[in-house]
Amino acid sequence: MAIDRRLLTHMNWGLVLMTFLLFCVGVLNLYSASAFMSEEGIAMSSFYQKQLLWGGVGLGGMLLAMVLDYRHWRSLAWPMFILTVVLLAMVPVAGKTIYGAKRWISLGFFNLQPSEIAKIAAILMAAKLLARNSHPLGWGEFIKVVGICLIPAVFILKQPDLGTTLNMLLNVGGIILFRGLSKGVFRTCLIAGPACLPLGWMFMKEYQKQRVLTFLNPGDDPLGSGYHIIQSQIAIGSGEMWGKGFMEGTQSQLRFLPEKHTDFAFAVFGEEWGFVGCLILLVLFCLFLLAIFNTARDAKDRFGSFLSAGVFFYFFWQFLINMGMVMGLMPVVGIPLPFISYGGSATLVNFCLIGLVLNVSMRRFVFKTN
Amino acid sequence: MSMQLDPEGYQPPRGGLLLLQGLVLLLFFVFFLRFWFLQIHKGDEFARLARENRLRQERIDAPRGLLRASGGELLAENRPAYALGLVREDCKDIASTIAQVSHWTGIPEETLWAKYFKDKPRVKPFQPLVLVSDVPFDLLAQIESNRMLWPGLEIVIRPRRFYLQGPLFAHVLGYVAEANEKELEENSDLALGDAVGKQGLELVLENRLRGNKGLQQLEVDVMGRELNRKMVQEPMAGDSILLSLDFELQRIASEAFEDQAGGLVVMDPDTGKLVALVTQPSFDNNAFAAGLSNKQWSELRDNPYFPLQNRVIQSVYPPGSVWKILMAGLLLKEGIDPRETVFCNGEFYLGKTLFRCWKKHGHGKVDMARSLIESCDVYYYEMLNKIGVDKMEAFAKANGFGEQTGLGLPHERSGLVPSRDWKRKRFGEAWQRGETVITAIGQGFTLVTPVQVACFLGALMNDGKLMQPSLLADSEPVVRRSIPLNEAQRLYLLDAMRRTVEDPRGTAKRLRTPGADIGGKTGTAQVVKLKLKANNERQKFEEMEYWERDHAWMAAWGSKGGKRYVVVCMLEHGGHGGSAAGPIVKKVFDHLFAEEHE
Repeated sequence: MAIDRRLLTHMNWGLVLMTFLLFCVGVLNLYSASAFMSEEGIAMSSFYQKQLLWGGVGLGGMLLAMVLDYRHWRSLAWPMFILTVVLLAMVPVAGKTIYGAKRWISLGFFNLQPSEIAKIAAILMAAKLLARNSHPLGWGEFIKVVGICLIPAVFILKQPDLGTTLNMLLNVGGIILFRGLSKGVFRTCLIAGPACLPLGWMFMKEYQKQRVLTFLNPGDDPLGSGYHIIQSQIAIGSGEMWGKGFMEGTQSQLRFLPEKHTDFAFAVFGEEWGFVGCLILLVLFCLFLLAIFNTARDAKDRFGSFLSAGVFFYFFWQFLINMGMVMGLMPVVGIPLPFISYGGSATLVNFCLIGLVLNVSMRRFVFKTN
Repeated sequence: MSMQLDPEGYQPPRGGLLLLQGLVLLLFFVFFLRFWFLQIHKGDEFARLARENRLRQERIDAPRGLLRASGGELLAENRPAYALGLVREDCKDIASTIAQVSHWTGIPEETLWAKYFKDKPRVKPFQPLVLVSDVPFDLLAQIESNRMLWPGLEIVIRPRRFYLQGPLFAHVLGYVAEANEKELEENSDLALGDAVGKQGLELVLENRLRGNKGLQQLEVDVMGRELNRKMVQEPMAGDSILLSLDFELQRIASEAFEDQAGGLVVMDPDTGKLVALVTQPSFDNNAFAAGLSNKQWSELRDNPYFPLQNRVIQSVYPPGSVWKILMAGLLLKEGIDPRETVFCNGEFYLGKTLFRCWKKHGHGKVDMARSLIESCDVYYYEMLNKIGVDKMEAFAKANGFGEQTGLGLPHERSGLVPSRDWKRKRFGEAWQRGETVITAIGQGFTLVTPVQVACFLGALMNDGKLMQPSLLADSEPVVRRSIPLNEAQRLYLLDAMRRTVEDPRGTAKRLRTPGADIGGKTGTAQVVKLKLKANNERQKFEEMEYWERDHAWMAAWGSKGGKRYVVVCMLEHGGHGGSAAGPIVKKVFDHLFAEEHE
């Protein structure tokens, strides 16, 4: 279809602006975080440059997600979902092990991480299944949706990748809550959820249990992750009102944090930009979420609305969990902070999902003539 | 294209919209409060923590396992050594600090700078970078009293390996030294300056000896002063290991060599446990643990007597007449009647080539036992000439020659059992009949290590079981294989060796020890081709250059009161086996079978 002027006028420009601003903040912060590393000669590759490169790739993915009408994406939900499950099933057999986890399939020129595609596929799938009607969600449909989304979740949990599994299930749960469900189902979930926690504990790996224990008692941890939480809090706290200035962080030239450019990148920001900087970033995050919210509200149809809500939750949970972890409010779970943490495929997925939301916003009105 | 359109005027779920807005508000307030709490409310405190106090994690070295001789005598332990380190983060002025260190120690500044730049990438800024690894005690006091003037300098106490007996066990224990770049990269547990095994048992048993490092958390101020310290994980010492070597026997055997070069091995034939492993000359392995200077290293390396060489396993020698035991075994296996005799007139002709017996005028009529007792060469020339090199090769290999014994020390050599194939590959020439003949008496190309000979004798005593020798008291005996000789054949050979000691004309009669059952075989291995003087007389031993003198062998076994041992001694350029190596073996038996031991 040709580019329609209305497509551009109706596009969610607020979301575009917020995305751009957040991405810039992230690259700037990575510049500071990796500058120390190169001075020390630990790693010479500049993460901010790679992040910029991935931003470019992400832009491509975003445009691709926008070009095709989002209702075509809906038709593609099943094939995409099945392909994802097949790829995930291949990982244990043909996968590559990095840092003790088997998450990648080597394609020669780069390593494909099927769990990243699964995040997109699960949101599309849940939105499609839940958008069929508007009745309050009953038991039958609830079990169907949750059951289908559990298939990829189990594979990802086995890899092991607790962070991604959690994120995926929470997104599906978010869309269900957004849609609204019957009182019976809601009440049962409210009671059954906490009851499942001990069961989850049994299935956790030793290091995951250790992280939860560490969170409950950070002073006492032989593995050193309690030490990292304390260090990241010292870094953020010592930023005080105005921060120590760009590239001036002393504490978070954090030799203490092994993952200061990935999961703990926010600690670097907090130390260097202080309370004011953190507040501005927090406002940016909130405005970003509200921009997605706008599309979920104004969407022309139920699928578009649910899809946007799914993307909303995708970002919301990551903001909540990562910042909560870095500031000692939550146990350490390997979930990155969107835009701020370094990560190639995560950046690509972020941009693709934003592309889908923009897609929904662009086509708010055009279809009456279709 | 059919699209399932929602009815016009789709209304998003009211509750859902409220939920999303509520979550954004929640996110904002939770983190607003947390930022305020961390950065404003507690900001001062965290700023102070960041400015003044640093939490650091330090690895604590685990004590390396001790090594002891079989009676519990300590052979290797750990003693503290003092090093001077520089913590870059705490150091105000690195250049003047290094100048000061140079002033104190007398080490040139350039050397210190070189070390600084070499180690900098591997040492974190808050960890001490070791500039001087061994600080003498008087200097230590001086530095310690001035330390407040030089923030960043730190005395680091590190365990240093100490070998209580130095040269006596140097080749068995080996030594540790600072891990090199490659070792650091291969093992992430290692830190710069850690000692790792480089030779001997220290190398082979590295994983058992090393232990696990501990971890402690400390808080220090800007001056590097320690505020408090908490043990997070206790270090776990490495295993202490008991060797099978007998301390006293090792000392006596070692002293018996006086200033001669050679090696000696004493083994329990039933288990393969080594009771003594001596190689002379030796070196002081403490020098390696302390860090060897280039000069010390080149002196050791260029010493013409090769003190670093473990002669029992790393040196190979022609076996000389010791080989005749094996060859006699081969004849028995081939069905030769040991009573069959050969007439020795001192000469053997193969075509027109003359091969001499060591006894100029010959031994007369000689059967198999007599050929061993008096070590007649002609018997073997004639007998093995009929058997041929192929069977000799196969038999020698079946008895463990030409392969490593696997006693668990690095760089063991396998020796050489020559064959037609080998000769063609090595020299591009066919095997000569004459070579078969000299190979039969242990000359020619054949090369063996003393420990291979000991294993072969052990198998003769121990039901034909070829054991894997071991230096560890707690290891299970390992049978490598059975040798192809039946009991009667083995007993025949042992008896011939016994008579070599007891017969008035036996070449090993020096070993006679009252009350003990002893067997032996001498060997005198030519190093260079026999030189005849102008008058057709052999050169006397004293007239020969040291490097041209024969190697002396004595391969023996002894048993008394249920205790059984194999003793093999090899003296480099020692001359005649019986007279040169014999007395050393005799001293070993005297100690092993002395009355007070029973």
